[in-house]
Amino acid sequence: MVSKDKRESMKIVPPGKKKCVWMEAGVVSYKLCDNNYDCSTCVYDHAMQVKVARQKESVVVAASIDTPADKFTATWVDKMMQLPASQRKCRYMITGEVARKICPNAYECGSCSFDQMMQERLQVEALPVHARSDVGGFDLAEGVYYHEGHTWAKPEYGGRVRVGLDDFAQRLLGRLSRIELPNIGHEVKQGEVGFQVRKNGQAAQVLSPIDGIVSHINNELLDQPELANEFPYEKGWLFIIEPTKLRKNLKSLFYGEEASKYLSEEREKLFSLANEDLRIAADGGVSVDDISGELKGKNWAKFVKTFLKT
Amino acid sequence: MENPTYAYDETRHQYNSKVILKHLLQCCPHDTLSFMGVTRVDLFVPILKYVFGLAQIKGKCSLISLYRLLPQFYNQPPNRDLLMTRIEKTALHELGHCLGLTHCRDRRCVMHSSTRIEDTDFKQPEFCPTCFELFKWRLEKLSREGNYLMPKL
Repeated sequence: MVSKDKRESMKIVPPGKKKCVWMEAGVVSYKLCDNNYDCSTCVYDHAMQVKVARQKESVVVAASIDTPADKFTATWVDKMMQLPASQRKCRYMITGEVARKICPNAYECGSCSFDQMMQERLQVEALPVHARSDVGGFDLAEGVYYHEGHTWAKPEYGGRVRVGLDDFAQRLLGRLSRIELPNIGHEVKQGEVGFQVRKNGQAAQVLSPIDGIVSHINNELLDQPELANEFPYEKGWLFIIEPTKLRKNLKSLFYGEEASKYLSEEREKLFSLANEDLRIAADGGVSVDDISGELKGKNWAKFVKTFLKT
Repeated sequence: MENPTYAYDETRHQYNSKVILKHLLQCCPHDTLSFMGVTRVDLFVPILKYVFGLAQIKGKCSLISLYRLLPQFYNQPPNRDLLMTRIEKTALHELGHCLGLTHCRDRRCVMHSSTRIEDTDFKQPEFCPTCFELFKWRLEKLSREGNYLMPKL
């Protein structure tokens, strides 16, 4: 009983994490996805596929020998295909992108029209932010990684990473008149200038949070740059990257409590810099929507250098 | 204090707390340990939409506003006890700044920065152990330097 309870408790999936497809199919008892469902580049998936292939071969060679319980003789697709058709969850249902969808295509995503439609949709639409927190009046979306130069990076299905400006940056810069995004195919590097924004003839360069190749840009921003101000974590996303050093890059970014602490420190720093003529501290108040507009006469370049790190 | 008309900002329809603080600095008596202005008007400071209070860090002057501490501002019935508790917390917070204390990350500590009135209501009208020791040490130091009578803590 104790061991069963222990096994059940081990299967708890922490908030924000998702089950690996091998766990979902019941091939392994516990494995969380750490590669954004990009199975084609997943080391674990490759190792499991090899292991299952070897095991199948050995079963053929020694058919009379019972296969031990801990050996893997089926891939996650084999396991899913053993289920009744009504229980074969589509990969997009497993990852939470759609509420309900049953696989009609024997998990051959490469030839699935629904998969193609979802790929297109996910590239142009940012998924809604389900949870956000308020740090001293600044919005912080959960499940997003933050760069010290006030951009965010959100790993999504298939290994892509969506990039945007955080709420602190959009309030600091104020209502943007133009956003100059990198071209598709352009290579960006973490901590190096990735794009430029303009407001009233003044320009500010902004750092990229991740290394990679730009695969999509948010074309809506060309006509409506204010989307980056109004919906910084959703409709106002900037571009999508095919990352080249995702795991290494993510280690340099702030996440969760760390992001909250960093934003709180930046808020204090901003207040000090905006009121440096008199050494003061205030109790109360959320930030105005257009900080640079409020600081007329102050040195724009100094604020950009201090907070956007360019 | 009287209505600080000199600090009224016509764009924001609020009063600039920095201007009022500068005025307080000019009329602050020299033999005062701490000088706090209390006003009924709505205060702001550049980059923030409003403030409950403002203080000089390691200075003598501070300012608090009752405008957003009144329950009526939030469409609630008048509540004298709640108002007094909010005033106590805000005044203690600004006094802490005057003695050199910065914002505390402990949400229950009176030195925690209140973004909204809910934060003020959540925090306690007292310092966390670390802020209290710092407050006490700074107050003792200031009292020795200025020959003020040290209050009992």
